[in-house]
Amino acid sequence: MSHFFAMGGYARYLWPSYGVTLLAVILNIIWARGLLRRAKTDARRRLAMQSEAR
Amino acid sequence: MTWVWFHRLGSPPYIYRLAGRLTPWFGWIAAVLLLGALFDGLVIAPPDYQQGDGFRIIYVHVPTAVLSLTIYTSMAVAAAVGLIWRIKVAHAAAAACAPVGASFAAVALATGMLWGKPMWGTYWVWDPRLTSELLTFFLYLGYMGLRASFDDLQRADRASAVLAIVGVVNVPIVKYSVVWWNSLHQGSSLSLTGKDTIATPMLVPLLVSMLGFTLFFAAIVLVRLRAEVLRRERAASWIGEAIAT
Repeated sequence: MSHFFAMGGYARYLWPSYGVTLLAVILNIIWARGLLRRAKTDARRRLAMQSEAR
Repeated sequence: MTWVWFHRLGSPPYIYRLAGRLTPWFGWIAAVLLLGALFDGLVIAPPDYQQGDGFRIIYVHVPTAVLSLTIYTSMAVAAAVGLIWRIKVAHAAAAACAPVGASFAAVALATGMLWGKPMWGTYWVWDPRLTSELLTFFLYLGYMGLRASFDDLQRADRASAVLAIVGVVNVPIVKYSVVWWNSLHQGSSLSLTGKDTIATPMLVPLLVSMLGFTLFFAAIVLVRLRAEVLRRERAASWIGEAIAT
């Protein structure tokens, strides 16, 4: 197992590479979901304001 | 008749619902493919005869680098469609592409630096390939910054579309930089027309990873597209129904 994590001496370059990639994947999911949630909240607020105005 | 599907794609309520239905499919298939590629690339594939286990960075570097260019091209095409035919959904799609493309370009640059240090002895050189990929990253940031500088979405769409279209000249420069100039960066291992210069056990995880990242991009862009479509629909009656759940 430690042989696997050593990656033939390239561990200090290889694991950070996979780390930043994983980080980018997670952030993309969080950002996109947050954007959609905010867009829905804004749309709901607009609809509420319109129905009040009528 | 054959153009019905194209007109439907320009319809905000249709695209909102379609994107919502497709997202989990793309997302979960991407997750399965990426986990498979991770295992195949890190455990099953043999070490390289020159680069040892260091070559395994290829499985995150190449897919993100290739996609940073494909996404840019898609973004420019969507922006052009939006500009020429005044289709709001096309502008929304272009806007949805940029942050994902920027993140992929950043990952390609970061993993490239981490690969360059052990193989070339340096994290960075002002080499044609590296410099033009850095420019790709800045083009994404410029596009996003330009959009953010407008309060009016329509003006943001039009101005940023011009930037996206002009910037597309950089895409072939990145792709062919290793052919046109004497680059420190190695040439392509993959070829659509000729023979791949990579052994099959190493190639399979690379292709699976590329497909996985492509579907991941699709899933993220569909979520962002729905948000962008909602922002553009001020008073449409379908919205109440669409966001009720």
